[in-house]
Amino acid sequence: MRIAFVTELFNPMLKLKILSLAVVMLPSTLCGQQRFSTRNGTITFFSETPVENIEGTNHKVTSVFDATSGAMEFAALIKAFEFEKALMQEHFNENYMESNAYPKAIFKGKLTGLGEDEVAKPGTYEVTVTGDLTIHGVTKPITAPGTVVIDAGGVLKASSEFMIEPEDHGIKIPGVVRKNIAQKVKVTVQLDYNKM
Amino acid sequence: MKKGYLLLAVLVTAVAGAFAWNEFHRTAATADEMPVAEIVTATELLAAFAADEAAATARYVGTADQVVQVSGNIRSMGSTNGLTNVVLGTSDPMAGVVCEFRATALPAKWKVGDAVEVKGICTGLLMDVVLVRCTAVE
Repeated sequence: MRIAFVTELFNPMLKLKILSLAVVMLPSTLCGQQRFSTRNGTITFFSETPVENIEGTNHKVTSVFDATSGAMEFAALIKAFEFEKALMQEHFNENYMESNAYPKAIFKGKLTGLGEDEVAKPGTYEVTVTGDLTIHGVTKPITAPGTVVIDAGGVLKASSEFMIEPEDHGIKIPGVVRKNIAQKVKVTVQLDYNKM
Repeated sequence: MKKGYLLLAVLVTAVAGAFAWNEFHRTAATADEMPVAEIVTATELLAAFAADEAAATARYVGTADQVVQVSGNIRSMGSTNGLTNVVLGTSDPMAGVVCEFRATALPAKWKVGDAVEVKGICTGLLMDVVLVRCTAVE
């Protein structure tokens, strides 16, 4: 239920209602819920082969983290990934990710190792993220280690690195370019959260 | 005659090679280098996505990169990762149109509250409608 609530935060039509509800529930909110969000998170993926290296970066990742429940969600628009070369970007969108049919990548899950007590204390915390990652319309469970650094200003800087296999998400790589794209692609996530 | 064919073959190879080299090294076009596909206000753009995200994605994001020209008042500005984000306000206080500029593409005189027009590649809706590779319309 809590994860579902976090999901709804991405729906702009519901945000006004949620804001109104939040004002009504302010006293209880102040006592409990600790939510953090960012609209400028970064996801980078890196494919390394002897033929060529391919890197795509998206600086417009949206994420919400609820320290009370541990629920975490992030979403990225596929067309917001940028590449060094236009051809890479076009092939990425048109041939592999089919961004017209599958415009978003979404993760919904839970972060463990960082609760309400920890987010109040500056420091570095090793965490684990577990959940479902949907790319190219295919959802797969994933578990990844991560690090959260909390500074004195209360900003949470969360980072994680993990590998994915394009084929696991139904992304077909034509034989002619198979050697240009790694079997496993490194994904790096950097989310600098502010308190909501 | 043979010399003529040889020269032609060399010429064709050189032109094809130059084309392939340029194509391989071509960088993604900014909004300034592409025609404007849609002109809309920030409030209208967000409302279109909120009403029917699939239809708005088809219209404003399109199948290939396309430029949307958006007008609105600057709600906030901020820089991260060497990029500047200009958020155009809408009638929804919690959502807007985020326009991502390379630092050099942003007019220095712009400030919060200004009425501005932006051209950018529309990539879709998250919490806000997101435009990338933006340029100012001045």
